[in-house]
Order: sequence, then C-alpha cells, then structure tokens
Amino acid sequence: MIYLQLLSEFFKIGLFSFGGGYATIPFLFHISEVYGWYTLKELTQITALASITPGPVGINAATYAGLKTAGLAGSILATTAEIIPSLILVLITAKLLKNFSGNFYVKSLISTLKPISCALLTSVAIGLIKPEIGNIKSLILLSVLLLLSIKSKKDPLFYILISAIAGAFII
Amino acid sequence: MSLFKLFLIFTKIGAILLGGGYVILPILTDELCEKRKLLTNEELVDYFALSQSLPGIIAANISMFAGYKLNGIKGAITAVIGVTFIPFWTIVFLASFLDRLVNNNFVQSAMWGVGIAVIALITLTIREIWQKSDKDKFFYFIFILSLVSMLYFELSPIQTIIIFSVIGILIKRSVKKA
Repeated sequence: MIYLQLLSEFFKIGLFSFGGGYATIPFLFHISEVYGWYTLKELTQITALASITPGPVGINAATYAGLKTAGLAGSILATTAEIIPSLILVLITAKLLKNFSGNFYVKSLISTLKPISCALLTSVAIGLIKPEIGNIKSLILLSVLLLLSIKSKKDPLFYILISAIAGAFII
Repeated sequence: MSLFKLFLIFTKIGAILLGGGYVILPILTDELCEKRKLLTNEELVDYFALSQSLPGIIAANISMFAGYKLNGIKGAITAVIGVTFIPFWTIVFLASFLDRLVNNNFVQSAMWGVGIAVIALITLTIREIWQKSDKDKFFYFIFILSLVSMLYFELSPIQTIIIFSVIGILIKRSVKKA
C-alpha cells in the first residue's frame, strides 16, 4: 500500500512540476502535510542538502522520502516514479523532432528556441547574482573566476572545486 | 557509443552536479561538445529549452534528450540512470547525517563558494552560446522580448517558452509567405 502511494505521489510530481527543481517544493510540502513521510523541518533540510550534494532537489527529495517510508526499495520506487512521466514525454518529443526535422514548423521552432534559451539562462544568471550584489566577498570570488576563464577555459569541476576550497578555507 | 560508456559519462556528470540543476548545461557542454564532440552546442541549447518546457527535473530531461540522440531509447534510459546514480546513493548514505551536515559551518562555507562557481559557469555558458549563434534581427527580437517578459512581467520560463515559440513560428511563417 505504501509502495502504491509512493508511486502515485511521485509520479504526480514528475508529471506536473514544470520549471525544474524548485517547482517540486510545493508538491513536497503537500506530501509532508498529507502523509507525514517527512516533517517540514526535514523538507527544509532536504532542500538545503540539494545544494550541498550532487543532484537536483526533486530527485534528492524523492530518494529521501522513499528511504524514510519504505527503505531502499521505497527510495528506488519514488525516484523512478518521478522520472517515468518525463522519460515518456522526452522520448515522444525527441522522436517527433527526429521524424519531422525537415518540417517548416519544427525548423522555425528550433530557431526560435535559441534566443529563448539565451534569455532563460540570462534570467537565471541575473536571479542568482541579485542576492550577491551587496556581498563584496561573492563579487570578488566571481570576478576571480571570470578572470581565470579569460586566460584559458577549464573544466567546470575546476571552478567548482576551487570555489568550494576558497569558501571553506579562505573566506 | 556503447551503453556502458554512456552510463559512465553521465555518472560522472551526475557526480559533479552541485548547486542545482542549471549547472548541468555548462557541464554537458564541456563533456559532450568540447571534450568528446558528440553533440553540437546548438543541439544542447535546443534540448535545454525543450527540457524546460516539459514537466519534471530539468537535469534529468536534458540528459534524456542527449542520451536519445546518442543511442536512441536505450541511450535515454541509460543517461537518466547514470545522471541520478551518484545523487541517489549520496542521499541514501547521508540521510542519517542530514541534520549535522546541513548545519556544519565548514560545509556551508564551501557551498557558498560552489554557489558562486555556478554563477560563473552559467555566465560563461551564456557567453559561449552568444558567440556561437547567428544573431540576426529575429534573434535579437525574440531574445530581448522574452528576457523582458521574465524579468519585468515575471512570466515563468514555461509561459515564456510557449508564448514566444508561437510568436516566433508566426513571424517565420509570415516572412516565408511574403
């Protein structure tokens, strides 16, 4: 029974949360109220944990809720249930794109998506920078990273590691 | 590409997916476009927008698109298992230390640094996409209007994608007819 509930709740999250990671939070909040699989405090911690462990918050929360309610089997089930709806939708979309790649509307859509993607990323970057603007330390670290990138382009992991070290030891 | 190799690549990507899902785009660009030349930059950018328009986790969606392109349906499934592999086991092993970990000063300061790295990585990705796109009037028109809709009119990404995709297609159609 608990398995069925985990399956249907996280399937719903996978199907209805548009806009990625943080869009899942209202759903996770609802689950904690209705089922009590984790407390609100734990939900806050899962959200915080999502930024300190690899992986998107939606996946982390599913894994954690499943683990707490029904052990390892539960966590596999919840995580899988969350991914299945988008797997189906991605496969359909990818197949349509492939089969109709010569179609005028598909071509127009693709060339429209480029500027939109640029705008999406720009607004993400602006959203992330905004809270840091008053913080001198953040601005210094950010400038150092951007300056490093001008000299030579490095692996993303390089930036992540030196920033983590800078954060933990220097600043 | 063999499914095993695909799995390894995406496992590595999942392991360094710190600081939220958006950082997947810089990581994928580095891993699949630059180091291995498996996808073009343009393809990834398309997948990014499509992933945002579909429900679910963006990082998982974009991995599935890339996996599908590299090895069909099996590739998509392998990619999503790979990208969630390390995050999944990290939670399983860390679940009992949740409290201590989240409240640890050392961990928190390191994560502040990671947050800044994510901003830098996204900025670099924008610069790269910008340099590699053909920027005609149409590009600037759609870019500026969709940015303004999100920043000033506070439309969500999904609303922006739908509205401007329709506008973009209509413009292309009227240009073609003319």
